[in-house]
Amino acid sequence: MAERAATCAGCGCGCDDIDVAVAAGALERASGTCVLGDAWLAERTGDAPPVARVDGREVDFADAVEASAAILGDARLPLVCGLGQTDCESQRAAVALAEAVGGVIDPTGPEVDGAAGAASQAIGVSTASFGELRDRAELVVTWLADPVTSNPRLLPRLRLDRAGRAAERTLVVIDARRTATADEADEFIELPPQLELQALWAMRALVRDVPLDRDLAARLPLDALERLAGRLRTCNYAALIYDAGLTTAYVNALGLLALVRDLARVAHVVALPLRHEGNARGAEDVLAWQTGYPAAVSFARGHPRARPGEFTAAELLARGETDAALIVGFDALRLLPPRAADHLRRIPTIVIDPRDTETGAGARVAFATAAAGVHRDGTAHRMDGVPVALRAPLPSDRVGDGDVLAAIEARVTRGEEP
Amino acid sequence: MLRIAQGRVYDPANGIDGEVRDVCLDGGRVVEELPSHAPRIDARGMVVMPGGVDIHSHIAGPAVNAARKLSPEEHRADVLDRTATTRSGTGGTVPSSFTTGYRYALLGYTTVVEAATPPLAARHTLAELRDTPIVDAAFLVLMGNNLSLFELIRDGGPVTEAVAWLLDAAGGYGVKLVNPGGVEMWKHGNRNVTSLDDQVEGLGVTPRRVLEAVATSVDELGLPHPVHVHCNNLGVAGNWRTTLDTLDALEGRRAHLAHVQFHAYGGTPGKRPRSSAPELVEHLAAHPEHSADVGQVMFGPATTMTVDAPVSALLREVTGGKWVNADLEAETGCGIVPFTYRERNYVHALQWAIGLELFLLSRDPWRVVLSTDHPNGGSFLSYPRLIRLLMDREFRNEQIGRVNKKAIRRTVLGDDLEREYTLGEIAIITRAGPARLLGLADKGHLGVGADADVTIYSEHEDREQMFATPRFVIKGGRVIVEEGELREAPAGDLLRVAVDHDEAIERTLAPLFEEHYSVQLANYPVREPWLLEPARRVPAGGGR
Ligand code: SF4
Ligand SMILES: [Zn+2]
Repeated sequence: MAERAATCAGCGCGCDDIDVAVAAGALERASGTCVLGDAWLAERTGDAPPVARVDGREVDFADAVEASAAILGDARLPLVCGLGQTDCESQRAAVALAEAVGGVIDPTGPEVDGAAGAASQAIGVSTASFGELRDRAELVVTWLADPVTSNPRLLPRLRLDRAGRAAERTLVVIDARRTATADEADEFIELPPQLELQALWAMRALVRDVPLDRDLAARLPLDALERLAGRLRTCNYAALIYDAGLTTAYVNALGLLALVRDLARVAHVVALPLRHEGNARGAEDVLAWQTGYPAAVSFARGHPRARPGEFTAAELLARGETDAALIVGFDALRLLPPRAADHLRRIPTIVIDPRDTETGAGARVAFATAAAGVHRDGTAHRMDGVPVALRAPLPSDRVGDGDVLAAIEARVTRGEEP
Repeated sequence: MLRIAQGRVYDPANGIDGEVRDVCLDGGRVVEELPSHAPRIDARGMVVMPGGVDIHSHIAGPAVNAARKLSPEEHRADVLDRTATTRSGTGGTVPSSFTTGYRYALLGYTTVVEAATPPLAARHTLAELRDTPIVDAAFLVLMGNNLSLFELIRDGGPVTEAVAWLLDAAGGYGVKLVNPGGVEMWKHGNRNVTSLDDQVEGLGVTPRRVLEAVATSVDELGLPHPVHVHCNNLGVAGNWRTTLDTLDALEGRRAHLAHVQFHAYGGTPGKRPRSSAPELVEHLAAHPEHSADVGQVMFGPATTMTVDAPVSALLREVTGGKWVNADLEAETGCGIVPFTYRERNYVHALQWAIGLELFLLSRDPWRVVLSTDHPNGGSFLSYPRLIRLLMDREFRNEQIGRVNKKAIRRTVLGDDLEREYTLGEIAIITRAGPARLLGLADKGHLGVGADADVTIYSEHEDREQMFATPRFVIKGGRVIVEEGELREAPAGDLLRVAVDHDEAIERTLAPLFEEHYSVQLANYPVREPWLLEPARRVPAGGGR
């Protein structure tokens, strides 16, 4: 049995201190992972479907590439989506393919951070890497976010869990209900979610010392917010943790970032968006460097155009505007809103995923790949933007997501046989 | 094989100043002679120079990419279609990666230095450089606010070994210091340092000690490029004294000052700045071990993007617009503010004028070279206009007449400086000089054995037009640009330094690493071949 170093990409934490015990080429056990990490590994080391299938039947890899190229070539507006669970290298190949076929590309996961991303494009953001939050932040506020559930190792890694937190550091949880994270906190402030925006505006007013609307104030936990605003203003370094996937309203996201900006004028304050998928951040980063935009990009006119909303995968599908889809590492049928999923069932799909998923089973073409971070080296960007190396603790004779994407692209653009 | 026949050749490194002659290329190199049947470019009446070398630019990495995300409006207004040979993209002051490579090549530049990469983010920078075609690219590794280095400096530890290790771990080319100590203080409740002798709180070092220690290490290692310094107090009135203090502190050690225009302000802090360019020019003239790039400001849109995060927070207050701040553990910070330089604005006009003063007063073009600190002072696409300002006195005076008069009065530009750069001097400040300062022996000249990177311009009285649209650009012997069009877009090389370090340094760094980082030491060095290859290693000439 051999111990191999690994990086978990089970969520946006990208924990790179994992040890995997391997016996006879198979996973024996992993240490350092949390429950989500164990599930992530298990999904990628279970029985895998055949390498390539067309309409559910096992075929040669080359035939599946050929069929994929045909689907994409025939489509009027193909969609490339998923992407948050593969490596940056494969994401680069995905953008190249989307461009080659004149399609739309949009990183799409179970939780989409369209609103938070758009808000940060509008006003910018103050942020920091994990190490800064761990070593400098005296006061950390989770704002309608439950990292204990969504990113289980985050609090311990930031030494913010009860057991690891130094006495002089404070964790405040603001949420609709007592979450698992609230159990770790020094203070819990209950806030009905429909009052989120009002609370953000109230906080901004408190921070800037401008009068509050009395009616509004009456509905909010004002004493607690006032105390919090006072603490934020006088600390040396504070952080707000929010959930990029749960922040669905643009104005709320804007309010949160504006609050951080206001605070940054009087103290050193940063915000950290939680990301659920292991490389959701990388998908945006790759798309941004190759096209100038982090999400919802169409190549239909030969150059990148971004229209959040119009070119957002779920909405494009729900409106029935795309006539073929290539999905990378995302169980779209199970996780997309019903109308989008319904349309997906009606159009030809190509699925590239190391896992056995409902979406793969229903696809016209399905590739079962070697998993990034399990069987393949690569790079992922943690949710704080730090790039981490993905390792390949287990062997595999399959190709990775990026290889499949590159083979299809070569077939589409140069007629190359795989 | 390619013969560039009978062009007027400007190859200042080899003492060739406008001689009509042939340049022969074979196997990616300049060669002595070629058989007469070799393919040729008839360059009669054209100007032939080595490919351009940008010594200081921001083209790849997390800060650049954050700026891209911040400017969808600019991207919408400037798009590039996919072609048979090129990827699509978007432009503006922070273009997408492919577009950056193409546009540098179309401008006749074949080598670019990305000037600010935190080693922790090297994988990101490297991946972007892989998607930045044509140009050979190097990057500088940020070390001016590195907590592990601070501790080694404080305790008299093996700084030189650590510097070598960091360069190797990142795949970098040279060492960059940005506002040493100041960015760390920014993370202590939004503070900064204001002089070389301020304490970096709790860390037992001062900017002076950091400068001295790292510059000494760079010299000890014999790195091809000296320590590349972005001084403390950027943008502050009266900061020329800090700049001079920095140079004095580094006397006898090699040093390159980044975008010195931003550090050449007279006056008193908090008051209106004036020019102190002449004082800095004096120092540089007297110190052959020191050099600078100008960091010219050009009117119009820019994106300020700096590791010097406290400066960004001030700019945020000026513009009231978009602002990004990003703290990176143990290493650095980052601030981004989109910005527009306006002719009528006193400060902007002064900055523009100080840049021109630095160029026009400089006595040694080999050591005061061209940059706009892209995209901080303006896009690299504005270089041709800057060249015209330097070469064409009439045009320059006309432009001076349009800008804020009070600002001009605070400079010597109002005296109608006679100097006009010659083509030979332009060749120095845009290729031969930067290549020499970078220690890139194969770049920036056309002697036998040099890289076959050549730019051919049509003679044109309007120097802006001439330099904006080269007729031919040849990279590694391949004709990349012909008649202003991209013909092919091969990948460029990564240029990295080859420098040895004692393996024992990892044991010294391990506990520091454990304390300051949220990644494992074993995962920190970049080893992935797809990020590092193809690369060319430039050996350090170490005295060791
Ligand atoms: S916190 Fe996230 S990255 Fe870390 S082990 Fe758990 S699932 Fe994996
Ligand atoms: Zn710079």
